[in-house]
Amino acid sequence: MVEVTGPPPVPAIETVSLTKFYDGTTVRALDGVELSVARGEYVAITGPSGCGKSTLLHLIAALDNPTSGTVRVNGRDLRTIASGTRFRREEIGLVFQLHNLLPRLSAQANVEIAMIGAHTSRRQRVTRARELLAAVELQGMESRRPPQLSGGERQRVAIARALANEPQILLADEPTGNLDSASVTTVIALFERLRAEAGMTILLVTHDPVVARAAHRIVHMRDGKVTDPDAGTVVFDTRGAAPGP
Amino acid sequence: MTFFGLIVRNVMAKRARSVGLALAVALAVMTVVALTVVGDGLQSSAAAILKVGKADFTVAQKGVSDILFSSIDETQVKRIRRTDGVAGTVGVLIETEKIDAANPLFLEIGIPPGDLAAFGVTVVAGRPFTADAAHEMMIGWRAAQNLGIHVGSRFHANGTWNSVVGIYSTGVSFGDLGAMFPLPAVQAYNRVPGSVTLVFVKTAKGVSISSVEKRLNYDNPELTTIRTAAQFGRADRNLVFIRAAALGSTILAIIVGAVVVGNTMLLSLFERTREFGLLRAVGWARTRVVTLVLGEGLILAVVGAALGVGFSYGVTSLLEALPQLRGILHSEYTLTAFWRGLYTGLGMTVLGTLYPALRAAFLAPLQALSHE
Ligand SMILES: Nc1ncnc2c1ncn2[C@@H]1O[C@H](COP(=O)(O)OP(=O)(O)OP(=O)(O)O)[C@@H](O)[C@H]1O
Ligand SMILES: [Mg+2]
Repeated sequence: MVEVTGPPPVPAIETVSLTKFYDGTTVRALDGVELSVARGEYVAITGPSGCGKSTLLHLIAALDNPTSGTVRVNGRDLRTIASGTRFRREEIGLVFQLHNLLPRLSAQANVEIAMIGAHTSRRQRVTRARELLAAVELQGMESRRPPQLSGGERQRVAIARALANEPQILLADEPTGNLDSASVTTVIALFERLRAEAGMTILLVTHDPVVARAAHRIVHMRDGKVTDPDAGTVVFDTRGAAPGP
Repeated sequence: MTFFGLIVRNVMAKRARSVGLALAVALAVMTVVALTVVGDGLQSSAAAILKVGKADFTVAQKGVSDILFSSIDETQVKRIRRTDGVAGTVGVLIETEKIDAANPLFLEIGIPPGDLAAFGVTVVAGRPFTADAAHEMMIGWRAAQNLGIHVGSRFHANGTWNSVVGIYSTGVSFGDLGAMFPLPAVQAYNRVPGSVTLVFVKTAKGVSISSVEKRLNYDNPELTTIRTAAQFGRADRNLVFIRAAALGSTILAIIVGAVVVGNTMLLSLFERTREFGLLRAVGWARTRVVTLVLGEGLILAVVGAALGVGFSYGVTSLLEALPQLRGILHSEYTLTAFWRGLYTGLGMTVLGTLYPALRAAFLAPLQALSHE
């Protein structure tokens, strides 16, 4: 048991009866999702294709509005925030399922672009982008454009971009989908380091059992619902480390 | 990478679009600058007539289409001379005549020899013509140089062969490019006995020039006083029309240009839907997206405006060289024309880019990202 003094800590991410119907469809992409992720926790979501994993991440990133229900990030209801843009820029790092790089820009510029408008100098942007690309083992490839990179390399550029503004929360949609096992190990190690050193909260969608096992907790989804009965509960012990493989 | 660097990169990357837009801007700017420059040229060469007579102001007939069509008769001249505050007047009859292909609008001034000094004319060679000589003339030193004429030469002008008895200088190149004749000779040839075109007025010392002008305009409603080139429109309606045409075409160029720019921009931005979705998804503010698109437009506007000014220089030089227009069209490059070109370019681009920019900024990021 953890000794708790005062009120329980506010979860990093909390969804309450989160429901989403896409316009013009009768499918409930999300159907009353209850999920709570503690600060510094590393949670993996798995589930069959079309069960609503991407939809969930998009709603948490304020990229889309729920049909009903609530998303709270660091205790704030997303409906009350003035600017989803600023929220994404300052609090969230996003890795898209399709890596979505700008094909005309170099890997370096693709990472820097997320920092434009985020109170950084040009020099800071250059240095930070270079560090991040090195962290995902892309040193020497900074000047390559996406068409000159492999699928896995592009994915790692997208991960570097998501980390550019030092987000408190990383939302990643199949970030290791195209990676070989060596790269997967690198990315898992990077995530673990970010979590341990910077206290980053990580919520990722994955089909890869290796990546899922590295998480503190695995949440299963099916047909827009979370199927684990206790998934909404924060079970993470903030002092604990990730369970070993 | 800087934000500005990204804007420049986008301009360079979309080369076909950029070249097309810059050319559209350039054509509009060219039209506007060329019209302004030609209008300015016409105004200053017309106004140069006023500068020839060293006077405080000039009196002309009101509302004529060309100031050279102004006609003031003897009684009117007398009335002007008798007006309070007027110290002296010089009435001159001004005509133009085609001498040869290179001089389609040769300036001919009829003036009494006694008024030459008051009019600011210095005889630099030979002597002045006599008051009622029928076949005597003086020629301006620049015209003499251009046409290879000396004192003693014979010259066909004002409907007859004349002997050139003197060469004069007025200190104004426009005046020095013409010829002067005894007033009655020009009146007779043009069948306007007793009439003059313009009356140049010197006011008495210590009198306010504008009060004399006011009195003259009040006493002679059919006449108007002109002191500056800008007041020229009071007498010269052609110039007013040219000015109006220049203004009208500026407005038209901005509207047509804005539509062309807007269309091209919309198409080109449509292809970039995913890019804008991505920028918004990684946290770019709407205003930044708008600034990005406007910035791309503004770079093209400045490049287009520079090209347009260059084009207009080429076009006016070409027009001036046309045999039909030689000697008539003078373009005068002023800073105003340059600014107007820049405004046109910027105006049409901002107008044309604003809507596409706003559309790009207001795309829903997710839909934009899944755009094919
Ligand atoms: N823009 C949209 N319009 C309509 N329906 C949509 C839209 N996006 C997703 N859906 C539907 O919502 C449901 C959930 O989609 P979602 O993308 O969240 O699934 P997913 O779990 O991420 O699947 P995958 O593992 O294949 O990525 C699916 O049935 C999908 O067809
Ligand atoms: Mg998905």
